[in-house]
Amino acid sequence: MMMIRQAAKKALGLTSRQSTPCSVGIFRSYHENVIDHYDNPRNVGSFDKNDPTVGTGLVGAPACGDVMKLQIKVDEKTGQIVDARFKTFGCGSAIASSSVATEWVKGKAMEEVLTIKNTEIAKHLSLPPVKLHCSMLAEDAIKAAVKDYKEKRVKTGGV
Amino acid sequence: MNRARKLVASISTLSTRRRTYSPSSTFRTISINSQTHHSSRRESFQPSSSSAKPLWLRFSGREFSSGSSDTTSSSVCWNCGFLSEKAAFLFCESCRSIQPIDDSVDYFQIFDLEKKYELDAGSLEGKYKDWQKKLHPDLVHNKSQKERDYAADQSAKVTEAYRTLTKRLSRAMYIMKLNGKNVNEEETITDPTLLMEIMELRETIAEANDSKELDQIRSQVQEKLKQWSDSFVEAFESQRFDEAVKCIQRMTYYERACEEIVKKL
Repeated sequence: MMMIRQAAKKALGLTSRQSTPCSVGIFRSYHENVIDHYDNPRNVGSFDKNDPTVGTGLVGAPACGDVMKLQIKVDEKTGQIVDARFKTFGCGSAIASSSVATEWVKGKAMEEVLTIKNTEIAKHLSLPPVKLHCSMLAEDAIKAAVKDYKEKRVKTGGV
Repeated sequence: MNRARKLVASISTLSTRRRTYSPSSTFRTISINSQTHHSSRRESFQPSSSSAKPLWLRFSGREFSSGSSDTTSSSVCWNCGFLSEKAAFLFCESCRSIQPIDDSVDYFQIFDLEKKYELDAGSLEGKYKDWQKKLHPDLVHNKSQKERDYAADQSAKVTEAYRTLTKRLSRAMYIMKLNGKNVNEEETITDPTLLMEIMELRETIAEANDSKELDQIRSQVQEKLKQWSDSFVEAFESQRFDEAVKCIQRMTYYERACEEIVKKL
């Protein structure tokens, strides 16, 4: 977790807390929400893939070489997502998008999280157009995780 | 005045002496080479299923088919009005004035190379240096501002062409683009084997702490890059374009991993 954070911080040039979220001029700046997910990463980590209550979504964006893993832990009785973890290798926007995704899926029903749209994530992080695909990747990761969980349930004979 | 004339004369002798670089003979040289030595390869480039006529085919079409002419590739000199059948690169054949960039000239043409993936890096570099000598600002400093701007644009294009063609990955993507297959689509992939491998690779890199370990990982990744680069050539030449795209995707992932390693080192 530290490694990803350090690497990510270096990539963003945020090794010291000097950068201001809103800078003027021609420099590209990250929105404060993105930086927040950087400094206080939530839900970085992994669940046991073989745990029957866990759904794993593994997606990639080949154009920029990003790879994102999002895992959900589901309460079997209620069908609600009780916990989520993510691990993303990619740009700051991709990492922040997956972090936001893990936050938003917690406490929601599976059917509900399938309606989370990448545009909402992008809006929350004020992603520039060139980074919209990062939020799309997060949306796809959520769907993949839910799909994986459902497939596992079918295999084990559950509902 | 005399100096200017001498300068123009020297530039034009430079161009004509280097027959391979002047537009007319470049055109002929490439097609002659292809006809005599690589006719089979030429045919293999005909894309079977693409509907849009790729740039490449337009170029060859002029040579092999008598009837159709592609008006977008001919050029008119802004200075003397000379109408050229083919796209002029750099100089007008008639008055030797510098021309603006013509987008139909592709990077392989600039370096007088065959449009295929494999190339000799040393010869590419040599040709690039030759071009930079020709396009040196000092050679054009007494030309009009317009021509100096054109020369600057041409120089930028040559540099971009060189950068694209030197690296395997960008060369692969460029050659696919020339054949009408756009690789850089923002589609999500879910191939579990590939993604799992990349995930583990990136995790290993993140956890590696000393440079020896990182160098080891790097050489492994370079191996993979070479392997997939060869697969790309094979897939491309057999026109298995979907497979070629997958090769490029893998190469992108490995390149990213290499960049991460370099950052850590």
